[in-house]
Parts: sequence; C-alpha cells; structure tokens
Amino acid sequence: MNVYVPPISLESTPWGAERVRQFRIIPRLEAYPAVVSFAQTVAGKLVLLTLFGAGMTYFVKDWLVLSLCLALITFIPSRRRLLVTISTLIFTFAVPWRSFPLKSYTVSMIVLCIALGGMFFWSAVRFPRSWYGRRPVFVLLSSYSVLILAASSVPQDWTLWGPLWLFVHFFSIYVWFIAYSLLDHNAADRDPFKFQLGSYLPFWGSTTTPFAKGAAYLRRIEAKDGKQLAITQLKAVKLLSWALLLFWFGHWFDYCIYQYLRIPPFQTALALSVQRTPLPWYVCWASLIAGFFGGIISLCVTGHSIIAGCRMAGFNALRNTYRPLSSRTVAEFFNRYYFYFKELLVDFFFYPFFLRYFKKNRKVRLVAAIFAAACFGNAFFHFGRDLIFIERLGLIGALVNYQVYLFYCVVLATGISISQLRHRNPAPAGFIRGQLLPSALVVFFFCLLDVFGSTERNYPLSEHFRFLSHLFNLNL
Amino acid sequence: MDHIAEVRQFLKQVLAGRDDRQPFTDSTSLFLSGRLSSVDAVDLVVFLEERCAIDFTEVGFDQSKIDSIDAIRLLICAAGVSR
Repeated sequence: MNVYVPPISLESTPWGAERVRQFRIIPRLEAYPAVVSFAQTVAGKLVLLTLFGAGMTYFVKDWLVLSLCLALITFIPSRRRLLVTISTLIFTFAVPWRSFPLKSYTVSMIVLCIALGGMFFWSAVRFPRSWYGRRPVFVLLSSYSVLILAASSVPQDWTLWGPLWLFVHFFSIYVWFIAYSLLDHNAADRDPFKFQLGSYLPFWGSTTTPFAKGAAYLRRIEAKDGKQLAITQLKAVKLLSWALLLFWFGHWFDYCIYQYLRIPPFQTALALSVQRTPLPWYVCWASLIAGFFGGIISLCVTGHSIIAGCRMAGFNALRNTYRPLSSRTVAEFFNRYYFYFKELLVDFFFYPFFLRYFKKNRKVRLVAAIFAAACFGNAFFHFGRDLIFIERLGLIGALVNYQVYLFYCVVLATGISISQLRHRNPAPAGFIRGQLLPSALVVFFFCLLDVFGSTERNYPLSEHFRFLSHLFNLNL
Repeated sequence: MDHIAEVRQFLKQVLAGRDDRQPFTDSTSLFLSGRLSSVDAVDLVVFLEERCAIDFTEVGFDQSKIDSIDAIRLLICAAGVSR
C-alpha cells in the first residue's frame, strides 16, 4: 500500500489565502520530512509512544498494558503480526481476568468460540472445492442463525439453558471476525490462523463490527518499512489528538444541550409522546437534532481512538468516521458515517449479491444488492447482536419488537437506492448549491430517519410515526 | 484503445467526479488508501465486466484485485482477455 504524503518544507509554507485554506487544527505532522525522520529514531518512537499512552488514559483503563504492547510492536516490527496476536490474547484473557464473573467458565466459552473459528477457517482452507469451501461465510452465518433458533426454542428450565445462551452471546461477539477470516481463505497470500487470531477483537479495541476488518485488510495496510511506520504512527497520534478534542467538545456539547439549555434527550421526548404528554414540536426537533449530532460526536470519539490504536500498531487503517456532514448524497453519508460497518455490509451482503444476481438489468441489480446489504444485512446484524431481546422475549416476540428497526432498514435501503440511481451530474458550482444545500438535505434525511433508528425497542412503529408527525405539528 | 488505457481513463473520470485532481500512477492504491470508495468499486466492477468480460463469480472478488491499475492489469491477464 502506498503511504505517499506530499512533503511540506518549513521554508516553503505558503502565506495568505492559501495558508488559510491549508490550515488544520492539528497540523499534518507526517508531511514534514524532519518530523518523519525524527519519528524513525529511538527517541522519536519513545516520544510518540509516550504521547500516545498519555492520550489513551482518557479512553482505555488498561492504557499501560496497551502502551507496552504497542512499544513491543514498534521496536520489533519484523514480528508485528505475531505480536498483534499475542497482545490480542493478552487483552482477551489476562487484562479482563478480574472482571470475568465465572473465570473458568468464561475462558472456556471464549476458547470454544476461537476454536470453532479455527475449525471453520481450517476446513475452508483444507477443502476449498467442497460444498462448504465454496460458501464458507454462508455456512457460518446460517449456522449462527440455526444456533439462535435452537437456543430460543429451548425451555428456560432446562439445565443447559444458561450455558447455551452464554455461548450464543460469546459467539455473536466473534461471528463477524470469523467471517472476515473466511473471506481470506481463498487468497493466495492468506495469513495462517495464528495471524487471523490477532484480528479477533484486536487489542486496540473493536465493537462487534470488526475494526479494521480482518487479517487480509491488515496485511495490505501494514507499514512495510521504517518510514511508513513513522508516518502511520504520526497519523495515529494526530487522530488520537483529534479524538481527544472531540471528546472534550462532546462533554461541552452535552453540558450546553442537556444541562444549560435543558433540552431533553430524544428517548425522553419519545417517551413523553407515547404517554400523550408530548413536548412542543420545536423542542422535539431540538431533541432529535441534538441526539443526531451527539451520536456523530460519540461515534467519532470511539472510532478515532480505536483506529488510532490500530495505526500506532503499524496499520494505516482508514478512519471509521470521516467528515460525514460534508456528504452530498445519502450513499456518501452512509459511507462516511460508520465506515467499517458499511464495509461489513458491502463485503458480506452487497458484493455476493451484486456479483451473482440480476446481471442483465443494471438498475435492478444495484437496488437488489443495496437491499441485500442495507436492509437485510443491517437487520440481520443488529438482530443477532442484540440477543438480549431474543433471550427475554423469545424469537417471535423479539421479531415483533424489531418492527421499528426493520422499517428503518427499509427506508435506509430505499434512500441509498434512490441516491445511487439518480443521474450523477457534476455538482453545481458555488458553495451553497454545490455543497451546503445537498449536505443539509442529507443531514435532514438522516435526522428524520433517526426517529426510527434511535430505538430502544420499547414502543411499536405507530408511536414512532406519532412522534414524526408531531415534529411537523400534526397531532395524530 | 487497449483495456488498461480504457481503465486508466475511466478511473481518471471517477476521481475527477470526486474532485480528486491528484495524479495517480499505475501502482497508486485507490481503494485501500480511501481515494475511492466501495460505491466507486461497483462502477469499476460493472466497467470491467462489460469492457473486459471479467466474470467475478469465476475469478473471485476482492477489492485488492482492483485497488490499482497494476492489480487490474493482473486481473485482466488472469481472466485471459489481455490484448
């Protein structure tokens, strides 16, 4: 992978309007050759590691262990992938050891999940032309669905009900990481399982959406020499600084909105609407908009701090959230808002569908693939992730409870489809028509969609529609 | 115009559509570096299917296979449609 950064010489920094245009809150450190050279020295590496560790104290409780792992990886780059796996195992077992409720029980569940992942991977590699080897991800996700079905049909008084559900919970955490390994099984330069394991809930952090995808992606974005490592680590420190700024801004934002202005959170506004004591429509708008922007800030902070850790380990991963408010189309916003979740949907649902079906009709092909990803894939991911609802309400109850999010997925897929089908003319000239207006419309769409997306699954779809109509001062 | 020249021209247009006027060489990473997104990858896939008769269900799809002109050249050669 190219890590080309146009150099900036200290002497040639422009002045005037050009300097204003190039202004960055956090300067492009990686563009200064002198800084990059320093970052390649032992002292430079120690400075970067110290700065990074200090920044991480805000985000990770075990920042010292994390820093030690990163230091090892920084000073022994030839063993980077192996050290990533060891660090990941440390963060899987040793670091959370004290917080495990039933230690041997929890450890055996995690080991079982990893072993299953290994078995799936080994079988796909060993028998690539078998029925399973040609569709390992489909088999994995089908097995996962059958497992959920089986667990939900077991009576609660059965002795193994608890262990079974515990296993399903752990497997739901690992399933997408295993799936990324299976995508790599056919690659000529695929990693062995010991390296795949390093990407299973990696030590730099992740949600159930694999942050920075899987081993194949890590292999391609890995720093190949000292200079690339220095640039990648400088970008890591920059990104962490940006995360810190947003973290503090988020606190100030929350204080201003929820304490100083006393705007109620969206969930409160919705609950009051359900109780037939709705807030004034303009307060509902304020609540919705504040929740939308608060969500973006929060996602930026989480994503940036995780990707900063990944970069510090020597992998030049793309940001999870990148200037979402500058998006001019619905599809672009979806790409910029939560990149790794979008990539998951694209890798496991969009491409498999797009490359196989409706090849003769381009529009039908595109729309069907978008619905496979943004509607079905999105719904499948969240239904499997939030197992607590299935455990508590049973499968049918959880499905009924899921109606609001299903509606959200349908509207999202429709929005992306329309956005993709519209004839792509060049953007109109001028800031207002070319950027501001389209971006504002996109934000408006996603803000309204949040009425259905920010759901805690407490109320039926009709209540969300009631809230939506109340936003326009229509009281149903 | 051979396939690679067509692909180069196509990618230039896609990058221009994203206001990306930076130069790119045959080895420049386009998708892994974030200059193009998966939305653009769809257009490129359709282009390669139609112009170069590549069947991705046969050769297998992976974004790294279309990440640069060099990678696309290898893909076209592997699919046996190189002129």
